[in-house]
Amino acid sequence: MGALTVGQGMTLMEKLGILADAAKYDVACTSSGVDRRGNGHSSGNCVACGICHSFSADGRCISLLKILLTNECIYDCKYCINRCSNDVPRAAFTPDEICTLTMEFYRRNYIEGLFLSSGIVQSPTFTMELICRTLWLLRSRYRFNGYIHVKAIPGADPELIRQTGFLADRMSVNLELPTAEGLKSLAPNKHRRNILTPMRQIQNGIHANRNELALYRSAPRFVSGGQSTQMIIGATGESDYQILEVAQSLYRKFELKRVFYSAFVRVNEDRALPALPGGPPLLREHRLYQADWLLRFYGFQAEELLSESRPFFNVLLDPKEDWAVRHLEFFPVEINRASYEQLLRVPGVGVKSAKRIVAARRNGNLNFEQLKKLGVVMKRALYFITCGGRMMYRTKLEEDYIVRNLTCERNRIQFGSEGMTYRQMSLFDDGRFQRQVTPQEKLQVAVGQI
Amino acid sequence: MTVYQCEDSMESVFTAVYRAYEEKRPPEEVSLSMTDEPMLFAEFIPVEPDRERTRKVVSTLWRNFGEDDYLKICMALAAPDPEKGQAVYRTIVHGLRDKCRQGHLFDDLKDDYVRKTFELARGVLREYDHQRGFLRFKEVELIQDCRNVAEDPGGELWGEFSLCADAGASREAGARSVLYARIGPKNHLLTFLMPHFADRFPGENFIIYDESRKIIGIHPAEGREEEKGETSGTGKGEGIRKEQCERKGGSFRGSSGDAAGEQKPMTWYLASCGDGFTALDGLRSSGRELAYQELFTYFCLKIAIRERRNLELQRNMLPLRFREYMTEFQKNMKQ
Repeated sequence: MGALTVGQGMTLMEKLGILADAAKYDVACTSSGVDRRGNGHSSGNCVACGICHSFSADGRCISLLKILLTNECIYDCKYCINRCSNDVPRAAFTPDEICTLTMEFYRRNYIEGLFLSSGIVQSPTFTMELICRTLWLLRSRYRFNGYIHVKAIPGADPELIRQTGFLADRMSVNLELPTAEGLKSLAPNKHRRNILTPMRQIQNGIHANRNELALYRSAPRFVSGGQSTQMIIGATGESDYQILEVAQSLYRKFELKRVFYSAFVRVNEDRALPALPGGPPLLREHRLYQADWLLRFYGFQAEELLSESRPFFNVLLDPKEDWAVRHLEFFPVEINRASYEQLLRVPGVGVKSAKRIVAARRNGNLNFEQLKKLGVVMKRALYFITCGGRMMYRTKLEEDYIVRNLTCERNRIQFGSEGMTYRQMSLFDDGRFQRQVTPQEKLQVAVGQI
Repeated sequence: MTVYQCEDSMESVFTAVYRAYEEKRPPEEVSLSMTDEPMLFAEFIPVEPDRERTRKVVSTLWRNFGEDDYLKICMALAAPDPEKGQAVYRTIVHGLRDKCRQGHLFDDLKDDYVRKTFELARGVLREYDHQRGFLRFKEVELIQDCRNVAEDPGGELWGEFSLCADAGASREAGARSVLYARIGPKNHLLTFLMPHFADRFPGENFIIYDESRKIIGIHPAEGREEEKGETSGTGKGEGIRKEQCERKGGSFRGSSGDAAGEQKPMTWYLASCGDGFTALDGLRSSGRELAYQELFTYFCLKIAIRERRNLELQRNMLPLRFREYMTEFQKNMKQ
């Protein structure tokens, strides 16, 4: 077993720079639902809800030491900065360097744990073995008991993946692109079957481990935080509907804990990649995350939110509002009677406020004032709910009317500029008219002085 | 109207609650005040914190409402709000009168007092979640002359730590050092932060200094119970008053230990220090500390994606008031 020889003469600082830079496009989160108390002698515990330790300038949380073992890679994926045809500085950590960094960062409370991925060196199996060895060192020699998220390398020896699973809290295999065709065009070395095989293996491992744990309480835990995956959004031509369908089937068939969506950032100049003049498709990513939450916590199905004929999300309305205005036959919902599932489908009511409503109404009817205090977002909910048979204001249950009201305050200019206006025009409705209208001017308009 | 005047402590509020029940006063006629604000036609009763009564209230709350809701009440009492005593009292009254089942104390959020307590607890929990992540330790050197700095009142404290540093040195090769963190939270979080970090770093000596309340939490590394037993009782330093915090620690996470005795006692202390407290000013970072600070700052810089730059989002997620205490936002660092 040879050691890596890339970037030998570099300082730790230089290596960290290169390998953190290379790992930054991977998404991870420590909210794994695993609570693991400290064991009293080694460093570390896990908190179910996860802890964010800092936030970087892009507003994403920094909770894990997110690094690659090496950015040396034999693959040539077109979207990836580390592809073998790119001329970028290459570096590799030694296992000891990773362990020291993790421990020292962890005890200063900089991080919640380690996120380890890697470029493919020599072969997937070789890379997986390096990762596994590093984790073993960290867990046994350095006695690290905190959170570890590690990538399973598609195509690696299943035994190595199994071994790694006993050392890590969460494993993930990146799906990268939602369809096999996309994968073929942008990542010629990756195959969908190769990606799904380790995913299935980990799923089966978790199942088997659950049975073992039922028998022997102290059996070693296998991937206790479940597995996740990641898809790149906007690099290929898939629709939101396709992406959401894939995510839904991953949740159902592979029992993933999370599917992460990552807006495509064009880091390479390549003919096969789309040009994104407006920057990464962040709004699209945001809508997908919103829909993802609807799938996991609100009892929605992908087919309800989108369809073949409407394959993309509404830019102006979030997926739940969008669903609600197209299904007005379910509304208005009577807050004091409706079931929990019905409440969950009301825009402006989340999981927490729905639970609070259900708990609070046992002791008597709720009114709008109280509803607001329970945390319901009234400006969104008021079109869809009644309290004691009354709406909050005199509103109409019409799609156009509600859409107009939900969107107008948010994005007036943009809404008007697409030429689809539902409002009565006024003198100040010119897109170029930036200044606030004073009450005096309004008065002048009313009496015909302007 | 009867007004129980409490200090700003959990013990004091719980004692007042106990006395209100003991004296069989109708809850509507009782008010818990934490200020000296006078009230017309009211009978004022100053409350002396009492350990036994507190214990009884704690066990009642725990038994009736369960651990989670009990913790929420504790959290509400950590908020800096002067009306928290009254809110908590009426919440308890509400819960006992309606015979709330475990975990259902905060169901009736229509009630103003219940909601007030709930909101206070939520605010504290939110800051606790923030602080748990944003707190930064730095490794400091234990140097001999640190103990002599201007006859600092914390001399005794350092004595204790140098002891554990010695113990650590003999236990493992490579001396263990002390981690030091400075925080300035709005709420009194130290009692919640200490158990978290004690659980996370059993083998570390660490101190957390709450600047806004002048309180230090001290956690000596595991494995030196003997010395600890000796030092915890004395506490004769002028500026430092050691509180008996095994109990405090115990009454939060650990106090299921009442029923299940097998749980290990908490191994941390709180000490409140006077105004002239300077013992922590002259701390010197250890040799490698600066290197790791730079490494982490560089990491934070590198991990950001330039194309997604969004400082507003960063500010929403990480409010500016925390940054004063965070390594990666220090001015002398490259960011």
